[in-house]
Amino acid sequence: MSDCAKFRELLEAYALGALDAPERAALEAHLATGCDDCAKALAEARWLVSQLAYLAPEAAPSDMLKGRLLQTVRAEAQSARNSAPPKSAIPFWMWAGVAALFVVTIYSAWNAQRLQRDIQATNQKAAAILQQRRDLEAQLEAAKRAASIVTDPASVKIPLTSTDPQTPPLEVAWHSQLGIVLTGQKTPALSGNRVLQLWLIPKAPGGKPIPSLTIRPDADGKFVLLVANPPELMAQTKALAITEEPEGGSRQPTAAPRWVGGVS
Amino acid sequence: MFLAALIPTANCDGSPDATLVHLLLQKDVNAFEQLYDRHSRPIYSLVLRILQQAGTAEEVVQDVFLQLWRNAAQYDISRGPFVPWLFTLARNRALDTLRLKSERQRRRENQTEELPPVASTPQYEQQLDEKRRAEKVRTVMATLSPQQKKAIELAYFEGLSHSEIAAALKEPLGTVKSWIRNGLLRLKEELQATR
Repeated sequence: MSDCAKFRELLEAYALGALDAPERAALEAHLATGCDDCAKALAEARWLVSQLAYLAPEAAPSDMLKGRLLQTVRAEAQSARNSAPPKSAIPFWMWAGVAALFVVTIYSAWNAQRLQRDIQATNQKAAAILQQRRDLEAQLEAAKRAASIVTDPASVKIPLTSTDPQTPPLEVAWHSQLGIVLTGQKTPALSGNRVLQLWLIPKAPGGKPIPSLTIRPDADGKFVLLVANPPELMAQTKALAITEEPEGGSRQPTAAPRWVGGVS
Repeated sequence: MFLAALIPTANCDGSPDATLVHLLLQKDVNAFEQLYDRHSRPIYSLVLRILQQAGTAEEVVQDVFLQLWRNAAQYDISRGPFVPWLFTLARNRALDTLRLKSERQRRRENQTEELPPVASTPQYEQQLDEKRRAEKVRTVMATLSPQQKKAIELAYFEGLSHSEIAAALKEPLGTVKSWIRNGLLRLKEELQATR
């Protein structure tokens, strides 16, 4: 006989409480091992034994017992209600929902602001890059145009000699359609914010010098000045002159020419 | 864990007791009163049979129902039907009182506040209503020999062990064991046959 079969024979007596100590201890030790089959059989044995209650002759308790019980139970229920913490009109889960919504809203607003700042910064960077590109393109276009003027056989070369024998001459290439390119090498440094300004001297008698663009040579005295749309036609120009002027140029020469060259 | 499991299960699918015990968790006095009305008579009958004294029996029944009221959450109805559990609770309390009163033995003294384990209704019994079951139990037990029935009653209503019953009846221990086991198996078979 297996252990389980042996213990099964004891289950009804165990449920009845009739086992003597040694048998009870042995069965309880077996049940403590977690034998599912015996545990299930024991639950049924308990049910079977409980049915013996119906062997008791029928009797009824006094009405006073029910009265006493209900009095006690009502008092305890009332006490429990009084000691229970007051219920909030708004349930906890709703408060939790409101708190979660508040947190999400704050986070969304903060995130939106951050995104807006990022977008603004990105836009500024893009605008700066675009401007830089436009400047580079303009510089490239000017350089190409200047190169075209200088290398085009149709351009007229006009040397501008300095009034100071120590100062190197400047060179002008004038193309009737493309414009004027003025270049200089090792020109003397200018004082303060002063710049060099190109003037066109008209052939017409009594004609005043016509102001053109200004430029400030770099630290090595080099510069290239492109005048894309000269203020006067080559045929009507007698000479070109360069003066030193305040920054921004002048409407009329304020100093004697430092370089001069005739237009043939 | 416990009364939360009162939601209908295989053992107690939506029975009135399950609903009422569930309401006890919310301290529903009306539910308590209904449970008392449904079960106080068989419980009192059982306790009176054990104690043989009406006043003491009422005190025990009062304790049983107050324990149910105060500790309803400790009853796991998902693991077994309510009435057998209540019978077991009442029987244990009555036997404890009997033992204390007689000072014959106190081996269960420390278990006074413990609730009994749940019973499991066999499949064959789930369709049988309570009144028919009570009649069936009485009928089957009446077919046993007087000594066999006496042995079972001494164990159930007086809480005697095999050896104590053998001494009381002046019968061999093995005979008493056989009487009790065979009597209970007979009851089980008859209840099975009632399906």
